[in-house]
Amino acid sequence: MNEDKFIQVNNLEKTYENGYQAIKSVSFSVKKGDLVCLLGPSGCGKTTTLNMIAGLLNPTGGDIIVNGKSLLNVAPKDRNIGYVFQNYALYPHMTVLQNVMFPMTVGKNKKPKDEAEKIAQKFMKLTHIEELADQKPGNLSGGQQQRVSIARALVQEPQILLMDEPLSNLDARLRLKIREEIRNLVKEVGITTLFVTHDQEEALSIGDKIILFHNGVIQQDDKGQDLYLEPNNQFVANFIGNPVIDNFDVKVTDKKISGTDFEIPVEKLDSTKFRGDLADGDYTLSIRPENLKLSDEGELSEVIDDVELIGRERVLKFTHAGTNQRALIDLEQEIKPGDSVKFKMNLDRVYLFKPDGERIY
Amino acid sequence: MKKKKLRWGMIFVYLFIGIFGIITVFPFIYMILGGLMSYQETTTIPPTLIPKTLRWSNYQKVFEQAPFARYFLNTFITAATTTIVTLFTSILGAFAMTNLKFKGKGFIQLIFLSLLMVPGEAIIFTNYNTIAHLGLLNTYLGLVLPFLTSIFYMYYLQSYFTAISPTIYKAAMIDGASDWEYIWKILVPMSKGGLITVALLSFISGWNSFLWPLLVTNEDKMRLLNNGLAAFASDAGAQTQLQLAAATLTVVPVLIVYFIFRKQIIRGVVRNDLKA
Ligand SMILES: Nc1ncnc2c1ncn2[C@@H]1O[C@H](COP(=O)(O)OP(=O)(O)OP(=O)(O)O)[C@@H](O)[C@H]1O
Ligand SMILES: [Mg+2]
Repeated sequence: MNEDKFIQVNNLEKTYENGYQAIKSVSFSVKKGDLVCLLGPSGCGKTTTLNMIAGLLNPTGGDIIVNGKSLLNVAPKDRNIGYVFQNYALYPHMTVLQNVMFPMTVGKNKKPKDEAEKIAQKFMKLTHIEELADQKPGNLSGGQQQRVSIARALVQEPQILLMDEPLSNLDARLRLKIREEIRNLVKEVGITTLFVTHDQEEALSIGDKIILFHNGVIQQDDKGQDLYLEPNNQFVANFIGNPVIDNFDVKVTDKKISGTDFEIPVEKLDSTKFRGDLADGDYTLSIRPENLKLSDEGELSEVIDDVELIGRERVLKFTHAGTNQRALIDLEQEIKPGDSVKFKMNLDRVYLFKPDGERIY
Repeated sequence: MKKKKLRWGMIFVYLFIGIFGIITVFPFIYMILGGLMSYQETTTIPPTLIPKTLRWSNYQKVFEQAPFARYFLNTFITAATTTIVTLFTSILGAFAMTNLKFKGKGFIQLIFLSLLMVPGEAIIFTNYNTIAHLGLLNTYLGLVLPFLTSIFYMYYLQSYFTAISPTIYKAAMIDGASDWEYIWKILVPMSKGGLITVALLSFISGWNSFLWPLLVTNEDKMRLLNNGLAAFASDAGAQTQLQLAAATLTVVPVLIVYFIFRKQIIRGVVRNDLKA
């Protein structure tokens, strides 16, 4: 068995009964023990993918192979998978202990009561909910319910843990805390985990790698930093990063890249980084806000509309050729709204995208 | 100003409720009191409301003149059997309709809905023929057989089951529970209110049934309370006070059930026990 391909999803497809194709030939693999984030905007097919892996939905094409065996004809209860639902899906009439024990009281994995209780206690300790054992889920806070549902998912020691936006019902501070806890926990247990989220920051902070979805297609399957630094296409560049990337409409003619009020000779770009021929025509030049530096020799002369503080940095907002753009500078550099400044682009860090979104540089 | 208006409104509402309450309850009260009167007291004009002496001996006479104990037993057996079996079949049916996907589900649902429109009286003679052909006249089985399933109760439970988030069912599947385990360990405990309501309604309607047992039984030992009461009323001739005592006898158990389960009945009607 290949540890690098513990989970293998091959050309997975899903067309719903109403004819909507939610997943269009998706393939990826997950290394044993990794925590992988499925990231993407709402409606891109993350839950659909997860449900197919769990067996709650039947794919209309492709295959799911875990540990060398296809799961397609295996019932959900026999897939040996743990699932943490977005709304926790705890059984409201049972106590926390009964909820956590439930998987060991049904089906073919039934265990004697005292043994089940011991195992449940162990995982409740791991998730810090021992004191809540006799409470009903209705009396718990969101974060506590989340821990209960994680304990319940882990208690059968499944080969895979699936989590569908497990943090989206929590407040911001708790989200930060629990996401750390989740990462530590799954690493401690050593379980291979798929974690669905639409929050890029969450994905970047806890994922060993990130699979970015859009419209039922994988846009990029990479380490977080590569998604940020080397986006495959315009969608990835726009989706990842906060504040969002700046996009300038440009034309390439005579070995020159010309935008509104600025011009960059093509020879200034690193020739090894081109992914194809740069034919004349329309492109989008994209650059992350932190790669615009204040400089008197800058290409861009702008008037600042607004300034926003985010922690130790300052976001300068300005309008270029009718579109809003941003630059990120140090807090120490005092710029006020209305100031006229010049920005220099860090040309090592610009991207050129074709109109269809394909990256060319 | 506004407060005063509100007060008058409330007085009107209470008056209204009070009058209707009395109209509803009066026959019951009169029945109970009448069962303790002498024959003369029940027939005088103007009518007597409060008997001079409470004649408990009326009840003794009732039990002497007809086998009411047997009627009680028969009624209890049929009402309890229909209740238990109806609950069971309705739970399974409602579960299938709520959580399972199968071919022809929409069609079956359509048929069920249209059958719901058919009043029970309309098919009572077909049912009678069936039971007669099966040779089940004057048997307990014949008494209960047509009432062991109920589309109405199934739909009623379905409304409880669909109120449970579908992810609960998914979670149970992932946890390894079979459908059978899901039904008994999750669905049923989470729908207690609905199940108690169905049980009560089914038991009460079984207890009160009249037309069907009248058709399929003619032996005295197979009679149910209501038929026994009707027969008694004609046998006892003009003994009004005994008729009222017998009527009280048949109603009291239902009243006791109402009294014990009044919270659940109200909750079942109001449906606020499913916060999830
Ligand atoms: N049962 C269904 N029938 C038809 N279309 C569906 C069904 N379920 C989901 N879809 C559609 O499939 C697409 C993907 O849905 P999915 O739930 O996988 O999105 P998601 O990425 O999980 O989004 P979110 O972040 O909002 O949870 C959506 O456009 C959705 O409208
Ligand atoms: Mg989703």
